[in-house]
Amino acid sequence: MKLEIVAQKLNLKQINEIAQVEVSSGYASDLLSDVLARAKNGALWVTNHKHTNIIGVAVMLNLAGVIIAGGVEPDAGTVEKAKEEKISLFTTDLTLYEVVGRMYELGIRGCC
Amino acid sequence: MRELSMHILDLAQNSIAAGASLIEIDVIADTVADTLAICIQDNGSGMSSEYARRVLDPFTTTRTTRRVGMGIPMFAQAARECEGDIEITTEKGLGTKIEAKFKLSHIDRAPLGDVATTLMTLIAANPDIDILYKQACDGREFVLDTREIKSQLDGVSINENAVLKWIVQYISEGLQTAAAIP
Repeated sequence: MKLEIVAQKLNLKQINEIAQVEVSSGYASDLLSDVLARAKNGALWVTNHKHTNIIGVAVMLNLAGVIIAGGVEPDAGTVEKAKEEKISLFTTDLTLYEVVGRMYELGIRGCC
Repeated sequence: MRELSMHILDLAQNSIAAGASLIEIDVIADTVADTLAICIQDNGSGMSSEYARRVLDPFTTTRTTRRVGMGIPMFAQAARECEGDIEITTEKGLGTKIEAKFKLSHIDRAPLGDVATTLMTLIAANPDIDILYKQACDGREFVLDTREIKSQLDGVSINENAVLKWIVQYISEGLQTAAAIP
């Protein structure tokens, strides 16, 4: 499913330009080392973090995008890096659990 | 990371990449001040002040295979999530010291983890690099100095299986009896 369709269906708040990419899978975790070890290329990652490090992780894994859940606003540096690195970044007031459930309903599965 | 010892391993590997011959690791807990300080100091090539300023940014790395380095940024984040912070002191040619402070009782503070295996892994892969590990809790202290061990080994390599086995046991027992951190 295209990232922009997912963003639309989940009513995500778009922080920067949405990349024209396919979402290949989903991942949810707040342990960055766990994400680095297990999330796959093309995954849409849901996290509660707002720190610049999330963009570092997204670039390293070539993720489809990052959703910051729980009504948390990203740090200014995070927004800047997301734009620079062309990593699609979203926020939502939904909790992480709720976002993941709705992604699953759309047919997005985990990667392993 | 799930355990602080994984950060220690990661930063020690930075020291090794920087050509260090000695790595000093201090893990100091103080239950009264409610602090946990982790300090990794090496005599490697150090960083320029300009590079050191950028090193907390994940888009700073000396790697040539990729553009992103998460080691120090993740360590800094771990400390800051626990009401702590990180301080980096370095000079080109002289070495680097990275010190992170955590609130010891903070609910998000990761456990220290398996220090014995972490140190054993470092020693096994880098027998020529010396490690001085100190762990203390409220003044009670455990120290491991590979230079001392080597001087007793009489030519036997420190990464012989039997020696490594002994080291793991020595550290595990020493930490439990002398300097367990709550």
